[in-house]
Amino acid sequence: MIRAVIIDDERLARNELKKLLLEFPEIEIIAEAANANEGIEKIDSLNPDLIFLDIQMPGKTGFDMLAELDKAPDVIFTTAYDDYALKAFEVNALDYLLKPVEPRRLADALHKLHLEENRDREAGTEEDIAVNRSLLHETDQVFVKDGERCWFVKLTDIRLFESVGNYAKIYFSTHKPLILKSLNALEERLDEKVFFRANRKHIVNLRLIEKIEPYFNGGLLLELKGGEKIEVSRRQTVKFKEMMSL
Amino acid sequence: MQKTSKYYWWFQVGGWGMLALLIILISVLAGQRVDQQFLVGLCLKILTGIFITHVFRTFIQRVNWLNLPVEKAFPRLALAVIIVCLLDTVVRISIIGWIYPITENKKLELSFTRFLLITVENGLYIIPWTLIYYFFHYIQKTRRQELDTLKLEALVRELELKTIKSHINPHFIFNALNSIRALIDENPLRARTAITELSNILRSSMQTEKQETVFFEKELNIVKDYLALEHIRFEDRLHVRYEIAENTLTQLIPPMMLQTLVENAIKHGISKQVSGGTVVIVSKMKDRYHQLVIRNTGRLNKSETEDGFGLTSTRNRLYLLFGEQANFNIREINENMVEAELHIPLI
Repeated sequence: MIRAVIIDDERLARNELKKLLLEFPEIEIIAEAANANEGIEKIDSLNPDLIFLDIQMPGKTGFDMLAELDKAPDVIFTTAYDDYALKAFEVNALDYLLKPVEPRRLADALHKLHLEENRDREAGTEEDIAVNRSLLHETDQVFVKDGERCWFVKLTDIRLFESVGNYAKIYFSTHKPLILKSLNALEERLDEKVFFRANRKHIVNLRLIEKIEPYFNGGLLLELKGGEKIEVSRRQTVKFKEMMSL
Repeated sequence: MQKTSKYYWWFQVGGWGMLALLIILISVLAGQRVDQQFLVGLCLKILTGIFITHVFRTFIQRVNWLNLPVEKAFPRLALAVIIVCLLDTVVRISIIGWIYPITENKKLELSFTRFLLITVENGLYIIPWTLIYYFFHYIQKTRRQELDTLKLEALVRELELKTIKSHINPHFIFNALNSIRALIDENPLRARTAITELSNILRSSMQTEKQETVFFEKELNIVKDYLALEHIRFEDRLHVRYEIAENTLTQLIPPMMLQTLVENAIKHGISKQVSGGTVVIVSKMKDRYHQLVIRNTGRLNKSETEDGFGLTSTRNRLYLLFGEQANFNIREINENMVEAELHIPLI
């Protein structure tokens, strides 16, 4: 069963989608929201697997809403028109439906989602998710919006978080957008088995380290898969060695 | 002006120089004696010619005769040519009198005949000069006007295309269709009227290109259909109020202009408000104008005012149709209300 929330400012549009979804018994609509703020509330309290999200909404757009979430559920965008905003996406790890929605397109989108869901299940164990909801799992995805550009990023693809004032810079593939979150707040949410606080300014993904070299003063120098060189402070080096040596 | 004045000096010096050569050639062929006095007289003729026509040109530019229509410019130029010829004569005779004070004394006695003769002779040069000068500019002016007309036509066409395209917002059409699909089960009767309303809007926006103006009543009906459809979408988030003076219904206005402004009011105003808002449409006679006011909940986004296509095209269309007489402006009347106002002269 996939638990889904519909977020759209038009009641009739929500009804229409609900009607179309009756054909898919595996989808259970657990809530509806008429704007971005309601949407955030519902997502935080119900933790759905999937959201159907309208882009143009009063107050905040669907993109703005996603950027405010710590952890993005799977998203299927619904829009009335081939929106330029959708083209702003760098990584198309998502699907979108044009309103009025064609039932076959809806079936395709849901099918694609199933495949991904299964792949994720194999990667992570169910109990992990059950243990702590507020902790981000390695296979979770985050929605990143930097100015006009948006990305859906899997945590496994993020090499490095770097502190820049009140912001954090996220390194993945060839991009490094900024998000408005402090490194300390991020550290609390990230799985410490995978994401390691190397020093005051950096959190690195341990799975994406290319090389480890000794550094002066008893520290270490890590080279990441993207070529970034990060120094591990002396105090953290002890912890790092402990973790790596079992 | 820079470029023409460069040509001007080439023509001026070249033309008068050619004339001098021609006179010498004819004199030689006719067996006349080409002595010092002849050459001095010729030089004087050429130099005073250049001087006096240059003064004439400055005068023509100052009083702007070149921009007058031909039938007005010609009598003025004819009169001016006579005066210039006379002036030329006066200048030349005074200079000759100053160079040959004694020897020419006798000839001064015959002054009147001689005066007339020299004046007519001057006319032989100055009349062609004036004609050449005038027609050179006349041709240039027509060519420039032709170019301007072409440019203007291209601009108008471009604007028309853009306004027609911007008339129906695809977002609106697909949202409306989606709402109608949902209504088919929920309220079949309303769904049927909604389809009629949508058809009316589509039809009228396709007819727009053919007409310059339409009756306000017709335009208002489209706007009513449009707002009825938006009401299906926004439900209780949209309130509409009409304040229409009966005597404005037969006024002529540019098609789809009110519609574009109302669409803007929805797009930038109502649809951005979480709790929705109100659109008020006012139409009344004010002084000698038809005044149209669209008021909506929302704020005025400065960047959208500057380069929003809807507003620019509204201004351009008004200007093309009514010149300076029509008026359009948009402003915030309080912190949560935007007002767009149109003044259209009575036709």
